[in-house]
Amino acid sequence: MRTRGAILLANIITGLALGYTVTNIGFGDFAELNRMFTFQDLRMILSFAGAVAILVCAFALLRVRRTPGRIHAGVIPGAVLFGTGWAISGGCPAIPIIQVASGYLPALITIVGVIVGIRLCRWANARYFHLDRGSCGL
Amino acid sequence: MSTYWPWWAGAIGLALVTINHTLITDRSLGVSAAWDRVLHWRRERELERMDEEFADDQALAEALAVATAEHFGTGTGTGTGASTVPQEPYEKSQPLEANAESAASERPAATSLRPAPLVTQAALLMSIFLGGFIAAVASGRFHLRYDMGPGFRDLVTADSTTMVAMLFVGGVLVGFGTRLAGGCSSGHGLSGCGRLRPVSLVATAVFFGTAVAVSFLLWKVI
Repeated sequence: MRTRGAILLANIITGLALGYTVTNIGFGDFAELNRMFTFQDLRMILSFAGAVAILVCAFALLRVRRTPGRIHAGVIPGAVLFGTGWAISGGCPAIPIIQVASGYLPALITIVGVIVGIRLCRWANARYFHLDRGSCGL
Repeated sequence: MSTYWPWWAGAIGLALVTINHTLITDRSLGVSAAWDRVLHWRRERELERMDEEFADDQALAEALAVATAEHFGTGTGTGTGASTVPQEPYEKSQPLEANAESAASERPAATSLRPAPLVTQAALLMSIFLGGFIAAVASGRFHLRYDMGPGFRDLVTADSTTMVAMLFVGGVLVGFGTRLAGGCSSGHGLSGCGRLRPVSLVATAVFFGTAVAVSFLLWKVI
């Protein structure tokens, strides 16, 4: 059982390292992102795929606990909406933060949009969908 | 020549961040989940308070036993065995309202592990900003701008009003989509695919595939 202080420190280190790494890979640069999605430049997609390959091996070697997850009705429509929004705005939930940190002030609008979208989803799900959506992050 | 890291450095960097987080916290990394919890902090704080109140399973079992004994007028209610606790009323009391779905959906993992404290999730989001700022300044890429750069201007729009609308709509789709799908590129993409979770593999394939299709439309058609 990890203490609150240990988790806090770990999240601060994770946030700093994630922001630093993702910025240096180029995920905050819309042109780089579009080049990745249109396969004009494979550098970023190889970074992501390479990370997943390392993680598969590392998690297996370290016998990391597998969190449960089932394919529910919200997965595919949610992923389609997310993919569309990512290609249009250039931001997944962490990216607009580093875009602002890099000086792209209009990314603040993307952050406002993300906030509205997350709140809207919880409201709509409670009212209409009633999906047991699951969550990756704990 | 790109000033960004080569692919192998990026791969190692992303993997190390995720492995360190997983090992130290014993939890999955998920930025959209952190956003969700921080934005609904009142509800999450209430759930945390309830969690703390019932953190001691033994005390909870005893309290339920006492309440059951009082209700049915049997025994002294001091029994500690879980067998004296009727299961049905307790289970029925779990999904009290639809708004608790986030906690309820995480219940299988949370049977042995509760979600990370709310304040740590807020710290994660703020640290991402700080890490990004340090990287941008250190690499000399930090410039205050009122647009999203030449890439966005050429591929999406050069008009500032349309840019605001597109960024807002894109952000709403990202926020809504990631929460509906239950994760984003860090949660499903890195943590989930790294664990070979079927739901994460499907979600990642779909959101990458959709982003590829929309990006080709922006590049070639629109």
